[in-house]
Amino acid sequence: MQGPAERQHGAGRTARHVVTAAAVVGVAAAVALAVDLWWPSAWSGGSARGAGRIVAVGAENQYADVIAQIGGDQVQVTAVMSNPNTDPHTFEASPGVAQVLGSAQLVVQNGLGYDTFMTTIERASAGSTRKVIDVQQLLGLPDSTPNPHLWYTPATMPAVAKAVARDLTALDPAHRGLFAGNLGRFDRSLGTWTRDMSSLAAAEPGAPVATTEPVADDMLAAVGARDLTPFSFQSDVMNGLDPSPQDVAMEQQLLTHRKVKALVYNRQVTDSLTESLLALARQHHVPVVGVYETMPSPGYDYQTWMQAEVQALRHALTTGTSSPKL
Amino acid sequence: MSGFFASGPVHTAVVAGAVVAVVSGVVGVFTVIRGQSFSGHALGDLGTLGGSGAFLAGVNPFFGYVTVGAAVAATMDLFGVQHRRGRDVATGIVLGAALGLAALLLYFDTTTSTTTGATITILFGSLFAVSPGTLPVMIGLGVVGLVLVAVLYRPLLLSSVSAELAAARGVRVRTVGLVFLVLVGVVVSLSAVAVGTILSTALLVGPAAAALRLTRRPLTAVVVASVLGLVATWGGVVLSYASATWPPSHTGWPVSFFVVTLVLALYLGAELVGWARARAGA
Repeated sequence: MQGPAERQHGAGRTARHVVTAAAVVGVAAAVALAVDLWWPSAWSGGSARGAGRIVAVGAENQYADVIAQIGGDQVQVTAVMSNPNTDPHTFEASPGVAQVLGSAQLVVQNGLGYDTFMTTIERASAGSTRKVIDVQQLLGLPDSTPNPHLWYTPATMPAVAKAVARDLTALDPAHRGLFAGNLGRFDRSLGTWTRDMSSLAAAEPGAPVATTEPVADDMLAAVGARDLTPFSFQSDVMNGLDPSPQDVAMEQQLLTHRKVKALVYNRQVTDSLTESLLALARQHHVPVVGVYETMPSPGYDYQTWMQAEVQALRHALTTGTSSPKL
Repeated sequence: MSGFFASGPVHTAVVAGAVVAVVSGVVGVFTVIRGQSFSGHALGDLGTLGGSGAFLAGVNPFFGYVTVGAAVAATMDLFGVQHRRGRDVATGIVLGAALGLAALLLYFDTTTSTTTGATITILFGSLFAVSPGTLPVMIGLGVVGLVLVAVLYRPLLLSSVSAELAAARGVRVRTVGLVFLVLVGVVVSLSAVAVGTILSTALLVGPAAAALRLTRRPLTAVVVASVLGLVATWGGVVLSYASATWPPSHTGWPVSFFVVTLVLALYLGAELVGWARARAGA
């Protein structure tokens, strides 16, 4: 019904199309400029190779820390996951991570499905010279290993440090002596932590504890504590699922009946359920020990972080003091 | 089944399930009569935005559902009626944009804060995960909703069956429609706590549709819908509790799955009864 009017306005319509097209081009140019200006310079990994230093990436900042301790000033290390307020299990890689990995010569990742995005990106940007240390493979663990938090096992980091020193030496044979010296220093500095664990195991043998999530389970085993929380409960919390009501009731009873001497609480894997357990523990005067998935920084390196958590556990078991956070 | 009645999570689930079933049943009957099932579904989905925002702000997602549900319902009503023809398109576009924003907020949730399982909690819910502190608020909102329906019962029913007739009788159809849609927003928020934002319309529409298949009397339908809703939520709680030993994980199947499956089974049962009656009558 608009036929005649439309024909009269034909020329006007053409002009409007031109204006629209120009506007689209203008907006596109503005977006491109904005992206160019805002693109984080740290992501343009090409320049990172400068100064002859080895470019290395740790998928989690505890692995990055070990690389830095072994490599000293001969490496430039980036950690992919380092925010102590996030849950690494649900982390998704950004394009920036792909950029950093593209220029890396040495990568340390956990494996066991904990940082699968690393393998995905590595496959996509295949670099023949890149050395990848997969801690699961390094330790020869099967895929069915239930607890992926390998850095809490006392034997893990010495093996990782040794592999890092080996690969750094292959990449830069001239600094062989530096890497070997740093490796020895790293291994010796772990002595305080292992001694603390043995003395706690002797002081409080078989202490009953509850956990929200399996992060520190291997360390609890190393200090001889008995974790009374069903593993199915811990595994559901870790995977972001709702545990069965039977498991929840059992976990609540551990606290309300004070069957445990401490609640070991993963600060990085929390939901309304773990928060309600925290409140329950406070209400029934069960001391809480906050533990971390990734290294809390600044202020800690791997060794002092592990020592601090054992200290916090010792305070909870011997004096009933809570250490909700480090 | 040992320990079922002594279990804290079961107590909370039974009470929360009852509140959701009764209020959804009552409001659902009017939703189905008015043909606003899609609006109800859109409001439920939009709860995802509220829930993910609430997680980011560190408050209980239920308060996010209610705030966004009520606000969007009012907005939808104010804009929707004037442009009747474009209503589906407008709802679809707003829905898409809001869910896109929810995707961004959920990404921030998982990358900047410790909110494990936020996505599954918001989208699929769990009666066993209702925090005891939320329960009084849910009961309060449920009672307010029921009182509102009781007060508005006659004008609401009249305007639902025939808007023209209601207007002729002096009912303020616009106002009743606005209040009702906001009420739907609140009700889908309640049921989002039980079965998640994606599944929340199942409890709103399913039992009500089944009840209307069994009876044509509105008051009877309201009662039947509430009872069917109770069967679905309580049955879901029992089945989920019993499933703790089932394969493959041996940690129980999600309660939301059982609730929604029971809703479907009840609806199909009602269809069957209606069909048998029609044959017997013919």
